[in-house]
Amino acid sequence: MTMYNPTIDQRVDEALANDFLRLATRRATDRLRNNKYKATAELGDWEKWRQAGETIRTHVVANLDFYLQQLIGQIEKQGGHVHLAKTPADAIAIVRKIVADNNSKNVIKSKSMISEEIHLNHALEEDGSTVIETDLGEYIIQIAGEPPSHIIVPAMHKTRQQVADLFEPIAGHVLSSDTPTLTRFVRLQMRERFLQGDIGITGCNFAVANTGSIVMVTNEGNGRMVSTLPRVQITLMGMERIVPSFRELDVMLNLLARSATGQRLSSYTSILTPPKRASEADGPEEFHLVILDHNRSEILGDQTFRPALNCIRCGACFNVCPVYRQIGGHAYGSVYAGPIGSVITPLLEKDWKTWGHLPYFSSLCGACSEACPVRIPLHDLLVKLRARKTLSGHTPQIEQQIFKTYRYFFTHEKILRRALRLGSRLQWPLVRNGRISGGPPPLSNWTKSRTLPKVATKSFMQMWSELNP
Amino acid sequence: MTNTNEFINQLASKLGRATPTETPNYVASNVPQYRLSNPKERASIFLDNWQALGGKGAIVESLEDTVQCLRGWFGDLLAAWPNKPQAIIAWDLLPTVAEYAFKALEWPLVRYTQAAQTAVDRYSLAALAELGVTGADRGIALSGTLVINSHPQRGRAISLLPPRHLTFIEASKLRDNLFEVLEELASLGIPPSAIEMISGPSRTSDIEMDLSIGVHGPIEVYVVVIDD
Repeated sequence: MTMYNPTIDQRVDEALANDFLRLATRRATDRLRNNKYKATAELGDWEKWRQAGETIRTHVVANLDFYLQQLIGQIEKQGGHVHLAKTPADAIAIVRKIVADNNSKNVIKSKSMISEEIHLNHALEEDGSTVIETDLGEYIIQIAGEPPSHIIVPAMHKTRQQVADLFEPIAGHVLSSDTPTLTRFVRLQMRERFLQGDIGITGCNFAVANTGSIVMVTNEGNGRMVSTLPRVQITLMGMERIVPSFRELDVMLNLLARSATGQRLSSYTSILTPPKRASEADGPEEFHLVILDHNRSEILGDQTFRPALNCIRCGACFNVCPVYRQIGGHAYGSVYAGPIGSVITPLLEKDWKTWGHLPYFSSLCGACSEACPVRIPLHDLLVKLRARKTLSGHTPQIEQQIFKTYRYFFTHEKILRRALRLGSRLQWPLVRNGRISGGPPPLSNWTKSRTLPKVATKSFMQMWSELNP
Repeated sequence: MTNTNEFINQLASKLGRATPTETPNYVASNVPQYRLSNPKERASIFLDNWQALGGKGAIVESLEDTVQCLRGWFGDLLAAWPNKPQAIIAWDLLPTVAEYAFKALEWPLVRYTQAAQTAVDRYSLAALAELGVTGADRGIALSGTLVINSHPQRGRAISLLPPRHLTFIEASKLRDNLFEVLEELASLGIPPSAIEMISGPSRTSDIEMDLSIGVHGPIEVYVVVIDD
């Protein structure tokens, strides 16, 4: 996993100290959120659309074996190749082999979160291929060597000047930092790459089980380039990303475009059923679909967390999350940030030690659940993840100790009374203006950004016994 | 590389049952759909929404209208385009009005699929062209969307590589919403290798959320709605 700083605290502190990041994140999420409100209001009864989305996704996930089997059958019937990957390492090995078998040197990619999840680019580059991210935001972070900070706007954290600075060594001359100049530079720069690309790697927003089609949405048109021009197309797909038929695409595409960017439809929605027919001029001659499990089957078998597989990766939960809006995506340290990232990362990676902090990146206000177009109860799942982490004994020693102490005092009334009396007398070095501030760790973790009420001189228990002698 | 049966069986066991042999049923929830009352309204709303996305468009009723419209949009540009005989690249067969209009204007059309032997040469031609001309199979009024199916006599790069894309669509091919279009597409059986839904020009907001037009796909998009 790519990370900036090794510890969560360092990453969060860095994010909180970065004024541009915080301003940009707030501005961008505000914009996306407000656009979404407009686009959903005009649909009439948005709640009905959400319910319809939830119904479809729940049905598909509950019958995932059937629909995957159908999808695989259809694709193979049309002459496509399907590869099933249990682990990220399997998926990488599959893609590497296809690239090697085709003796390909120029790989062009449109956006794929699965490729981020499995860290594909590095592996292909090791084999001597040039891999180019063609989505503008992905291209920026590829040059910068950073993970995406938002699922829809990956380079949200970069200023236009930073982008110009990143592009200049490639351009070989000074670039002005206005966005039309930067966009034009990328257009020209990328044109050659598109025309030379011999393998195109794409993501997959939805796969249609009964036709064997892949649905991909982009605004820039890079998805179309990557799936039209190269001779070979590889599509990477999380195994849950299915709809039964074209009919369900109506609800899903409306929910996705409106929730993600507030558009009625993205600029380009491609429904592809590759490979190209023999008599057609354009399109890939060879098509490979790589379907990734990576512990999704574990989530499927877990009734509590199964709804997490309903996600359509629109990013709406990011834009309303008070935690994400303060710290941006990098502080999470994971490929998937935001509320949904906090839910799925610990489940996909099955690693509490590295990812156990994520369920705590939430105020549990429920804004994410309200924003989710397929009604995933995200805040509820976050609480359940915290419980699971705690019960599996992965909370820090100090936290376990604190709760043991808490239990001890609250099950021994006399000792508790004595401790409170003692506390009210001994707390004076920490009290300023009637509140506790400062102090040694672990107390300082709380007091570095807020204060605590001081222990009352006369405890509630004392008052109570005076009232009821 | 995992065996398909093994992969599917593992999912079935996670789901605690055998894999169904028939397509499983479910009760779809109804959603309120956007509906318009008549074709005239549909054409005009389609055009409004297309223009709101940054496209240019016109509704034409005759060949003269069409010629005038094309001359207005491209007449001056054409004079300035270098490599004029190869500036406009098109489907092998455009809607009749379009064919007649280009003939009347005496603007040469390069027919994409016949223009070169290899894919690489065709792409280069399309990338060097100034204008790509296509028809459309359907349109969606609500979202200002063109729906274009792939076909041996067409070519997908025409609507993608040139900096300008011009589409002709008969008004009778417009639908109110995406649902109607998908229902019709579903009835085709095996879908064409590509169904491209295009809503306006290529756009991005990836740098500081500032909208830029034309990052990879066409920068200018034009639609002629043929009143039939």
